[in-house]
Amino acid sequence: MKDLVHIFELEDLLQEAYNPLVRRARDDGLRALGYTCYFMPEVLLDLPGCFSVRLRAPRSSFPDMATYYMSGRTCMYGRCLLERALEGGYNFLDAQMATETCAVTCRFQEHLQLLDVIKNPDFFCEFTDVPFKKNENSIEHYETQLRAHVLDKLSDSFGIDTSDDAILTAIRQHNEICRLISEIGSYRKLDEPTITGWEFSVIQLCTLVCPKYLIIDKLRDIANELKTRTPDVKKTYRCKVVLTGSEEDDPDFIKLIEECGALVVADRHCYGSLPGREEIIVKEGETPLRAIARHYLETSECPRFMDQHVMRQRKQYIADVAKEYKADGVIISQMKFCEYWSYERTIDTLIIQRDFGLPVCSIEKEYVNNAVGQLRTRFQAFVESIELKKLQKGGRT
Amino acid sequence: MKILCKFFFKLLKLAAIIYGILFIVFYYDLDGKFLYYIWEPFMVKRFDNMKRADTTTTPYSMTENVE
Amino acid sequence: MGFSFKDIKSKYRELFVVEKPRNEKDKARDLKKTVHDFWYGKPHEERRLGDLYVGNTGLYKHREWRGFVDTMYYFNMIWLYNYGHMVSDIIKYGEGPGALVDFLKGTMRYRWMGQTYLTAMHWFDRGLEGSRGETLRASAWHYRAMVSETVRQITRMFQCDKKIHNGEIPEKWNKTIAHNETLSGNIFYGFRDNLDDVPLEMVPYFVSVHVNNHTVLNYIDAAQSLGLPADPCPMCQAEYGLFVHDDYPDYSPVMLTSNEACDGSVATSVLQDWFLNRPLYAMPQPMRYDDPLVQKHCQKEIEGAWKFVEEQFGVKMDWDLYVKYAESFNKLTEFEWEKWDVAANTPSYPITGVAQALYRIYYSQAGDRPIWHEVDDRVRRIMNKTVGNKIETFPKTRHRAIAWSCAPLYYSHWCTWAYNCWGINCVINMDSLMFDQYLRTDTYEHALEDLSWFNEKAPMRAMAVGGHEHILSLFDYMERFNCDMVIMYDQLQCKGMQGIHGIFEDEFRKRNIHAIWVPHALPDKRTVSRAEIRGIINDYMTTVMREEPLDPSLLDFDDSMSW
Repeated sequence: MKDLVHIFELEDLLQEAYNPLVRRARDDGLRALGYTCYFMPEVLLDLPGCFSVRLRAPRSSFPDMATYYMSGRTCMYGRCLLERALEGGYNFLDAQMATETCAVTCRFQEHLQLLDVIKNPDFFCEFTDVPFKKNENSIEHYETQLRAHVLDKLSDSFGIDTSDDAILTAIRQHNEICRLISEIGSYRKLDEPTITGWEFSVIQLCTLVCPKYLIIDKLRDIANELKTRTPDVKKTYRCKVVLTGSEEDDPDFIKLIEECGALVVADRHCYGSLPGREEIIVKEGETPLRAIARHYLETSECPRFMDQHVMRQRKQYIADVAKEYKADGVIISQMKFCEYWSYERTIDTLIIQRDFGLPVCSIEKEYVNNAVGQLRTRFQAFVESIELKKLQKGGRT
Repeated sequence: MKILCKFFFKLLKLAAIIYGILFIVFYYDLDGKFLYYIWEPFMVKRFDNMKRADTTTTPYSMTENVE
Repeated sequence: MGFSFKDIKSKYRELFVVEKPRNEKDKARDLKKTVHDFWYGKPHEERRLGDLYVGNTGLYKHREWRGFVDTMYYFNMIWLYNYGHMVSDIIKYGEGPGALVDFLKGTMRYRWMGQTYLTAMHWFDRGLEGSRGETLRASAWHYRAMVSETVRQITRMFQCDKKIHNGEIPEKWNKTIAHNETLSGNIFYGFRDNLDDVPLEMVPYFVSVHVNNHTVLNYIDAAQSLGLPADPCPMCQAEYGLFVHDDYPDYSPVMLTSNEACDGSVATSVLQDWFLNRPLYAMPQPMRYDDPLVQKHCQKEIEGAWKFVEEQFGVKMDWDLYVKYAESFNKLTEFEWEKWDVAANTPSYPITGVAQALYRIYYSQAGDRPIWHEVDDRVRRIMNKTVGNKIETFPKTRHRAIAWSCAPLYYSHWCTWAYNCWGINCVINMDSLMFDQYLRTDTYEHALEDLSWFNEKAPMRAMAVGGHEHILSLFDYMERFNCDMVIMYDQLQCKGMQGIHGIFEDEFRKRNIHAIWVPHALPDKRTVSRAEIRGIINDYMTTVMREEPLDPSLLDFDDSMSW
């Protein structure tokens, strides 16, 4: 396929956290607010006067200093973030809006409080408590937390307008991004998708790490171009897969999977769009903040949720996504030392194959992708096994 | 009375013998040695060879909200 | 096949004969000293406790002679008393001798039972090694209470267990609440007239590791056999491995679980839930528990748990009953505070580090039961005596240590060894300091408030989550308990603790504190053996502290195959 408009420009924006668009937004006088987890609603950090930056540590090598602080037995994502912070890579942040949603990112954010690493006199790190269930009690609790630890804090510290009108404005902007991303992503559902997993991953990541107002035009251009983009005459992939799992912010990893012949048509992971790019609907009689609290709890598919039916529906969700995106199999990828996904990957690997008949490739990887050879072998074998299954199925019919 | 005394002393003697034996078991850790060298290997063998249900066949069916 | 006389002789020597060190062999016999040692026991420095072990088994060639009085106390009031009471407890808790049949069936059905619990007296032996006088007595009572509660839980589980009753539903199956071991029993006080609550993993996993750590390795391996990586917390792995091996008793129609206290714990619930496949209520606690805004949420989840039990069992939560048990439990808390006061401010605290830690965590987790009061009464009398008579209970103390973070379960009695070998007296530990919450009962609102606080301060949660200030409170406690040394448990697979490792290093240096890092993997002795743990402490004591051991026979011995 022809190169997608803006794609290389967007790829460049992912080379560092303090990218040119973040610089520009700060020059425009906006406050940069860092966060790590889906449970910190980015829409609230995109209120007029500030913008959200979901933290990544691109081009990391071994995080030596962070390993001293967090040992070598913790998730490398958390360690690479700390390393980057210690190197001064996040000095542009005005605040870190933290959540204690997994042990290691929590410790990373606590280090930001303890070590005074962010060289910005205004900087603060504020924690929000996130519930483990999706019931009314949890929505109410989450709303209270977001009010106290996000809105009030932003208003008190930076004078951000946190009125319902301001929130509604942020929701409108957020929803437009979501509509565009969903539209762009919908081309992955085609029998012959007109966008690759790598391209989509670059676009989706940019929406997480760049100020929305500086990127939205590019998304519109991409959406327009995709309307007329045609697939290659000769198929460049051998099967289609859903990528599910823990934190994944490296488009090169998607590229690696696609080089092995598996087109990534759906992204159900921490930095993915499924879920994450659903529009926020404010129901009648509901405050915008309540709608946000409800939306983020209801849409999340995080393995942190403990309600029995929610735990079980998570598996159904993956199967539904696979069906909707016409995937032939599922790759479950877990960041090494991520406890939530260690278990979730184990059960998903067993249940998705057994109850939904989907082939599964279950892998464990590091944040810094240095085991490329091993992973390539795994993916190639997986693609071959899917092809073999297809052949066998064809033979029987 | 004499018979009763005799019986009582016999009982006392028996109790003393049992007490003495128990003390030997205690002092020489014979209970530990029995459990370590005889009981545990027997149980390990039993449990290693026990036929166990394949729990991965458990249905995954509780999808309704219980609250 | 056949044994020669030589073989028998050598086996006999291996199992029963304590070899005297060369310098002792040449000494002339001093009758006066022999008589003195017989009556009072040998002085600490002459005991050579390490010579008593049989090879690498941890068994004793003979049990320690502690002097006539203490040896007879050990034999009568610990060994005989506890063996006897284990049987009588089964009958008592099982409401008749019929319970012995269920007990036997369970012993033959479950590895954690058949292979583990009969060795309970060796658990006492390890924890009480070298103890004398009031310390021996008070600590042994703590063990007695734990054994009794363990028997209670086992008996109830077996009475209600479908698996040992040919799949048929025993009468009490529908009257028993199963809950995760990290969910405190105090949640269920209001149901105790009609229902009983038994933590699912407490006995099959947690206590079993302390008693006999061989069993748990099967469960850890089983967990990994389904594809779970080896790095998650091995406690969680073992808790779920029980299910993979189908080695959990099926004694309740429901399950209640919690997020206590880490990601691994939450994730374990996901897998356990699959294998249990029955109604499950999750009662998570907020992570940022210091925040006043989280309390209401937590309280509602507790009320949700009550509602769930009411609906599932058709039994109403009885508020008066809750008050009765909570007030009774407060008496345990009051005594615990008294104990801390004595431990912090006098040299007369008569409880070993391991007895203190295990008893505290056990009774707080299980909730109010008569046995805890019975034992506290006995311990109070002993403690009044030691304090009143100013008895120095650990006279060879060179260092007062605080143990921080979670302990190696297969070597929770390391502190007994450390005192005997080096004079390191582990005065208090992190696990003891949790659940530090009085339960008000004057109004429903106060009760609920305190109950949620109690659960928020559960093991690991109180210190390991909710902000770095909690885990760094070590330094305040160190001061409060007058400690000059820190034993820093380094649970290699605990992400939360690993994630703050360097900060502790910085703080220890900054404050010039002697801290010994003790790496371990909770129940899994294969990762860091007991000998390696001892080696680390030995190295620190010789190279940094430049001290000589009190009992050199304990420096280096092989207990790799011990329980």
